[in-house]
Amino acid sequence: MKPSTLSYISKLLDNKGLKTINEDALKKFIAEEDIEEKVASILKTQDIIMDKWIIRSRIIDFQNQSIRISNGTVNTNYNYAFTPHFFSEKHITQFEFSDIDDLGLSFNKETNSIEGVPKKSGTFKLIILFKVAGESESTDFNRKEISFVINPDPKSLWKDIPSDKEAIFWKEDDKSSSGKLQEKSIIVSSKRGRSHKNVGSFRDDDFSFKSFENTGWSIVAVSDGAGSAPFSRKGSEIACDETVKYFEETILANKELESFENKINSFSETKEELLLEEAKIEAKKTMYKAVIHVHEKLQEIASNTFQENPNLFEGLNEINCIEHFHSTLVFSAFKKFEIGYVFLSFGVGDCPIGIVNKEQTSSSLLNWLDVGEFGGGTRFITQRDIFHSKERPMSSRFSIHVQNDFSYLFLMSDGVYDPKFEVEANLEKTNKWVDFIEDLKGNNEDNTTIDFDKPIEEVEEKLNTWMDFWSKGNHDDRTLAIIY
Amino acid sequence: MRRLPVYFLLDTSGSMFGEPIEALNNALSGMITTLRSDAQASETLWISIITFDKEVKEIMPLTDLPSFQLPEITCPQSGPTFTGKALDFLYDKLQTDIRKSTSEQKGDWKPLLFLFTDGKPSDIQQYKEAIPKIKSINFGTIVGCAAGHKADDEKLKELTDTVVHLQTADSNTLKQFFMWVSDTIEQGNKSMGVSETIALPPPPSEDIIVI
Repeated sequence: MKPSTLSYISKLLDNKGLKTINEDALKKFIAEEDIEEKVASILKTQDIIMDKWIIRSRIIDFQNQSIRISNGTVNTNYNYAFTPHFFSEKHITQFEFSDIDDLGLSFNKETNSIEGVPKKSGTFKLIILFKVAGESESTDFNRKEISFVINPDPKSLWKDIPSDKEAIFWKEDDKSSSGKLQEKSIIVSSKRGRSHKNVGSFRDDDFSFKSFENTGWSIVAVSDGAGSAPFSRKGSEIACDETVKYFEETILANKELESFENKINSFSETKEELLLEEAKIEAKKTMYKAVIHVHEKLQEIASNTFQENPNLFEGLNEINCIEHFHSTLVFSAFKKFEIGYVFLSFGVGDCPIGIVNKEQTSSSLLNWLDVGEFGGGTRFITQRDIFHSKERPMSSRFSIHVQNDFSYLFLMSDGVYDPKFEVEANLEKTNKWVDFIEDLKGNNEDNTTIDFDKPIEEVEEKLNTWMDFWSKGNHDDRTLAIIY
Repeated sequence: MRRLPVYFLLDTSGSMFGEPIEALNNALSGMITTLRSDAQASETLWISIITFDKEVKEIMPLTDLPSFQLPEITCPQSGPTFTGKALDFLYDKLQTDIRKSTSEQKGDWKPLLFLFTDGKPSDIQQYKEAIPKIKSINFGTIVGCAAGHKADDEKLKELTDTVVHLQTADSNTLKQFFMWVSDTIEQGNKSMGVSETIALPPPPSEDIIVI
């Protein structure tokens, strides 16, 4: 007699609350009633039940387990790797992801990962068909569902709606230009940003430039209209045009820079620092007048528009209606002297003016940027308080820079600076400017190459193509002026 | 890249148990789906979900929309509404979450806050003290949402001028409300720039009243 039979029967009786009489009587009972065989059968049945339960609990455990896999994006490589023993440690012997090929995905058994390039967006249920250890070949597969999100391709979400040509102050969605600035060349491209294309609104950026053969001066201006100001497209246009106009019709026409130029010329002979300092003060004074003029012109046009169409300015009055025209402004006027190129620059807002020397070994930022604690905290030429700010004195917005020669001079709106330089500090780094030049020359995702040795119209066209680079989260208008 | 951080503070106190919490889950899920297909939101939006009942839990830390996975929101069968505690928690969270502009990093856009409640704060004192702290943060907008007849509009008014009252917290109303929230967020995306506050889109139906 097996000892297990005896112990099974005693436990059974014990569980039922019956006293075992004595072991011998029990042994006799077992022998005479064929108990041994019956107990063996019971134990076997119990084992079968246990095995079945173990299998079932493995299935339930896996089905109840929360599995989160990372989200995918249409047209972007997807890879989600499970840990190497993810399935085996859950006693899963066979499994497959059903129907994931419809989504453009497959399961790689080698790497234990879901991979591929998702084809359609949405929230899907991924179905895992699986078997656990102990299940026979003939049983059906078990199912588990995992929630899976595929984001749309961000590029596909953007619409391209033309702006309304009938609207007040309409202007071209994209504009570019090129020309000679004395012995240098200039190409400029200004393009409507994705955020504006998406809703059919206007390009708020603008630019203007002119060269004055008889005086040797050239001037380039770039302005970025505030996205939230309804007529900033006009504001930026006026800001640029009036800068150039004032420079031509007042500053140059009245020879207001004559004394400055004389001092610069004397300085190049005498190297008397005092002369240079005096010259700088004079230049600032002259530029200050230009900036005041631009502000006043903007105020005048805003007030006129207000008088003609007060209904366009809800909540504003004849004075603060200029808020609808909020725009930044940077400009740089330059001329070649004996001591080299002299740049008179001004900036309000967050458009940088950068210059790189001939050898491309050093760069300078010719203005400082207005950046707030939070995004969008910039300043505008349309804001009266910039003229008497204590924290950011007006005089500090002007700079006079002297440089022997240069390879490139750039003026750009934040639509270019944000994606290409990211932060202000990078504008101070020569290597970032060199990278930027390399980017223009072809070191970019789209392999767009600007060959600056080609005829200027071709260079301008290439710049227009280059301007379309994709950058996540950067969908502002882009304006870039390159003087080379 | 500049982020637009959006915070949801959701009341999960006892009164939300049952149908309301289910409606909330559905409405949130609908909102996330809508936002995923918005061009700007898909690139700039970061979302955080904080629930409050007698406990405050950050059930989803600030996450970019493409990676965002909406967790199921649950609530106890009964218990208080610690709105003040939730605001304090949020205040601390913002100190570390929000990136400010420096010369080395791009600052975030002004964050948005949506506070959803179907009752009134159980911790009045803490709530009162938390309000000036929250106001000191430069939010692009704070929207208080009072759902159902037990919700206290006046208490929310102390926190923000923008209080939205939902007549009921049923599935349809919540769905409409969160659609409106996604419109507001999209608006927030568009008005990044000088505007001090975000212009709110018109409410979707008479069940939703902007007070």
